[in-house]
Order: sequence, then structure tokens, then C-alpha cells
Amino acid sequence: MGWKIGIPRALFYYTYFPLWTTFFQALGVEVVVSPPTNKAILDQGTKSVVDETCLPVKVFFGHAATFTNKNVDFLFVPRLISVEKKAYICPKFMGLPDMLSASKIKHPPLIKPVVNKVKSEQDTHFLWDCASPFTGKWLKIKKAWHDAEQEQRNYEQKLIRKYLDITDDRKLNILLLGHDYNLYDHYVNMGLWQKLQDLDCTVFTPAQFSKEERDSQLRKFPKSIFWTYGRNLLGAVYSFMQRPGKKGVIVLSSFGCGIDSFIDNLIIRRLVEQKIPYLNVILDEHTGEGGLVTRLEAFIDIIRWRRDYHQNYVSSYGQYVGCCKGNVGVHGTKCDCTTSSYKR
Amino acid sequence: MGLNVIVPPRPTKDSLSLGVQHSPEFACIPLKICIGNLIEANQLGADTFLMVGGCGPCRFGLYGQLMKEIFQDLGINYHTLIIEPPDTGYWQFVTRVKKVIGPVSWWKIIQGIQLGYKKAVIVDKLEKYVQEIRPREFNKGTADKIFNNALQMIDQTQNLDELEEVFCLTKEKLWHIPQDESKDVLKIGLVGEIYTLLEPFASLEIEKKLGKMGAYVHRSLYLSDWVKEHLLTTRFFKLKGNDYRSYASPFLNHFVGGHGIESIGASVAFAQEGYNGIVQVAPLTCMPEIVAHNIFPQVSDKYGIPVLNIYVDEQTGETGLETRLEAFIELLEAKRKKVDRKITIC
Repeated sequence: MGWKIGIPRALFYYTYFPLWTTFFQALGVEVVVSPPTNKAILDQGTKSVVDETCLPVKVFFGHAATFTNKNVDFLFVPRLISVEKKAYICPKFMGLPDMLSASKIKHPPLIKPVVNKVKSEQDTHFLWDCASPFTGKWLKIKKAWHDAEQEQRNYEQKLIRKYLDITDDRKLNILLLGHDYNLYDHYVNMGLWQKLQDLDCTVFTPAQFSKEERDSQLRKFPKSIFWTYGRNLLGAVYSFMQRPGKKGVIVLSSFGCGIDSFIDNLIIRRLVEQKIPYLNVILDEHTGEGGLVTRLEAFIDIIRWRRDYHQNYVSSYGQYVGCCKGNVGVHGTKCDCTTSSYKR
Repeated sequence: MGLNVIVPPRPTKDSLSLGVQHSPEFACIPLKICIGNLIEANQLGADTFLMVGGCGPCRFGLYGQLMKEIFQDLGINYHTLIIEPPDTGYWQFVTRVKKVIGPVSWWKIIQGIQLGYKKAVIVDKLEKYVQEIRPREFNKGTADKIFNNALQMIDQTQNLDELEEVFCLTKEKLWHIPQDESKDVLKIGLVGEIYTLLEPFASLEIEKKLGKMGAYVHRSLYLSDWVKEHLLTTRFFKLKGNDYRSYASPFLNHFVGGHGIESIGASVAFAQEGYNGIVQVAPLTCMPEIVAHNIFPQVSDKYGIPVLNIYVDEQTGETGLETRLEAFIELLEAKRKKVDRKITIC
């Protein structure tokens, strides 16, 4: 009889699915992934946890609940503390298995290995906790893990994209920042990618800049940031600022995200210096699609104006561009008043 | 130590609204209060602020950096001194501290630290007395008056002898407050995030409110315990405070940053000691406390102890909070009369 392991399609599935699926398949375990997020899953998740929890965690609980009556032997919920040295993920990830066992959701037995690379890159305990229910052969586990890591590296390499479209002047370059589980879950972000592409934009994500590039750019920041996602976002912003072309930045964050509340603020300050337009989209379970479309269109229009009419006095973010007479320049009619624009 | 220290005024509504104006929307309330308070201190003439850094996973580690940038944008002239924890070795830490404080002898520094720590210990001891007296005193508010007076006196003391004198005097005063000895008071454990627990303004004086309603309140965290555990403990020299972490084990098995694990552990310990209820206080969007909040139903189920979760931010109203606390206390009393331990769960 083959084993079956369930993986919820939420949170770190979106970053590490090649790694996990390849690993378990190499061990001869069938991997069952929950269906893409839909309204029923979101509602179930919202019901299962306290209101203050952020949207991605609610979605995770919804996905975990889909395994209640399914025929799987284990549910894979790793306790992700840190995936790189001196950087954490998020306190909520650290308590995820405990939160799941404390909730009312009936779930299959959990496999909850601890991933902690803050101090050392040793993964022996992690591997053993993952694989011990299925096999006792250490070499087999090691081999499977080696293959899986290779697969993950290939996947990450494929994501990295050179800055191809700089010559295409009609297209705008938009950097879409956000945590992987918000960026790639198209139900949660309401198809933002498609919408941006319909508006003739080229979309970039943090994953399209290599980790080395991001880390080296991050040295400009005076303090080392101790969240992996914070590092990704800020590093991507630094790299993106140096590229040519007309650009804008959209930050996708979930309501009440503790990490983003600080990182966003740091990002804004960097972008205002360079006068790059910035839009912050905050997601929660009540977000309406119509409002999002309107905001996106307005944002894209602003970047277009800045490009087509060279209107650098169209506000980028948090900046008042009117003058003392109350004239805000539209389509090139620039006010000659000298006492204009006070800075925030 | 030869430095001119300007103590910022106690946080008020004004400092909070100042802070809210200038800090990120989702930031937690401690940051907002700190920023408001520092701006007020700047108006009083401070030109340098000292902040402790950190290396995660709680947001506190980035406070110093963010404040620096906010003050820069506001055009406020502030020198920033951020003391980072010793992550790359103790010697580097020592040199960093030395750079901050300048040419002062180490003996003086040790004396300063000793006096500061003793002050914290004595304030906490007195506060524990006050917590016991509050629900029993006939004339509500007497103990608080004496305590506030003592705080001012402690602030002005210069050496250990004076400190001891103030302590004995205040203790004497507190013992002479007329009390209702026969009253059977409810015991409530207060757990949660450190800043909202220790700063009465941030939690809208929840401790005093509970005391006036006739409940004995014990906190999971006291300043002196925290100092003992985090600042005075080194590799060679260990001082152990109240270790609540070990109690959290079946419910929360790993450190989650901040004081999430202490919250769970302390409530288990309180439940085993026979407390009647738990109140959790945390700033809105505090990540570790949200994890704890999700786990509380299980603790509550197992030990039959009711839990009230209170999140504070700049919008929290005083009356609403009072109503919730009153309702909670009435529930606890009703539950105590019925003896059935399983009747109310959170």
C-alpha cells in the first residue's frame, strides 16, 4: 500500500512546491495537493481562526480543512522558522502546527518538521522528521533530498528573467512586490497579473532578481533585515530602481501583516527619493474587485502621463504637487509659482 | 554617568496622536507611542535618543531604524544611538556601548546598572503589594496614591541606602491602609505583550480597573524579571526568573517571538494555581500574540479557565473596555458560585 501525503496549497507551498513534491515522490509517496483557492475555502478558513489573523493564514486553514474527509495518511505542515542564516520568516509560521492542532479542524496526523537555519544549515533533523514515517533508509532520503534541491534550483533559475523589455517603449515596467503566497494565489490577489497585462504592462516580481543580486543590493541598507520576505522585497526594490525604463511599484500586502507594515514604510522612503510612483494594495477577505480595477487604472494612467508628457510634477507618492494658488498642473500647464510643493 | 538625561513626559493622548500621525498605519501601538513621546522629548530639548536594536523575529528590532528615518523626514534634529545586541561577539558589543557612553569608568557603569536594577526590583515589589491591596481597600485609590508618591521618591534617590529607606517607609504606609480582610476576591492573571503590560497608558490602566472592580491581578511579566532574564544573563552567569515557558509545552512547542510562548505558559501556570480567569492584552497586529490567541481556546478547554482577549490601539475606547471587563468579572463570579468548572469557556 502506498502512502499518501497531503500538502495544503497555501503559504510556503507557492515557494517550495518543486522541492517538496519531488522529495516525497522520490520517496515513493503520493502527494495530494488541495485544489486552488476558492470562495468556500476562504470562508472555511475565516471561520476557523480568530479575526486578527492575516489573510494568508486564514486561507491556509481553509486548505487544511479540505483534507478532513480525504483519504490521506499525513498532512505536511512544516514549522518554518528560518530558511536562511540570520533571517526569520514570520512568528505566525513558527506557531502554525500548534495553531492547527488548537483549531476545530479535524485533520489527518501532522508531519511537522522544524526548519531552522538561523544558526547552522544542518538539515539532518528536518529530513529525518520528514521521511521517517515512510522509510528508514538514510541514503535513500539523502538521495531524494539531493534531487529535490536540484529541482528547486532549476525552478528558481527559470524564474530569474533578464530585463528584456526595456526597448519596448509602449509597455510599462511594473514591479509587483509581495509575499509569494499573495503573488501567486490568483484568487487572493484577484487576478492582478492578468489585469496588469491587459493594461499593457510588463510585470516583475522579486523572484525575477537573483538572490545574489538582491543580497548585494541590500548592503545599502544600514541594518541587516531579519525577515526573509523583508529582505526579498527591499532587495528587489533596490535592484529595480537601478534599471532603466519607465516604472512603477505595486506593493501587495495582507491586512495586518506585521512585516509589511515596517518594510512598506522603508520602501516608500526609498521610492520617494527617486520619484517612482507607488501603489499599496492591501488584501483582506472583504476586498472588492471593482475598487481594485479603478485604483489600478488610475495608477497606470499616472505613470503614462509622467512618461508621455514628461510631467515629473505628477505626484509619485505622499507628496503634494500643487502650489500656493491651488493649481495642480494638468497636461503640461505648469504653475510658475515658486512657493510650491511642500514636502511631507 | 555625566550624561544629561531628559526623561520624556509620561505618554498621554497627545503623544499618541502625534505618534499616529507620523508612523506607519499598521505599526503596533508601542511604536506609535514611542515616536510621539520622542517628539515631545525633542521639544523639551533632547538632541540624542538611545534605542535598543534587535535581530528578530519581532518587529521591535527595526524600531530604531524606522524612527531614525521618520525623524529625518520630519526635519527633526536627532542623533540616533542604536545599541545592537551582541550578535557577532561580546567584544564588539562592549566597544559599541563604550562609544555611546564615552569616557566613563567601568566601575561607575556597574554601579549605575546596580542602582537601576535595584530600583526596578523595589518598584515591582511595591507594585505587588498594591495589587493585593487594591481589591480589598475600603477607600478606593488610596494605595495608588501612596504608590505614585513612592515612585517619585524612588526616582530621586541616589544610592542604595536611600532606596531602602523609601521602600520601608512605603511598605509601612501600605500596610496601614484599612482593608476588608474577609473579602473573597477573584484572582485574575494578566498576560500578553510586554509593553502593553508594563505601560499603564497603553493598556488604558486595565490593571487598576480590574483592581477597582474587586479582582486581584497578577501579571506574567514584571520589569525586574525581564531585566534579570534578558540583560543580566550572560553565558557565564545565569539568573533564572519565573520560567513560564516550560508550562506551554503541549500547546505551543516553539518560541514564536515576542512573548507569545510566555503568554501561553503563564496562563497554564495560573490555571494550575487556581486563578479564576485570564486576561490577555496585546497591541493590534502583534504577531506573536495572535498565535497565542489562536491557541487559547485549547488551554481554556483543558483547564476550564475563561480567557478574555483585548487588543489595544489608538481607537480603543475607555468605556467599551470597562464594559467588557465588567461583563467578564460578572461571568467569573457567576461561574465561581456554580462550582461547575466547565460552564464558561472563552
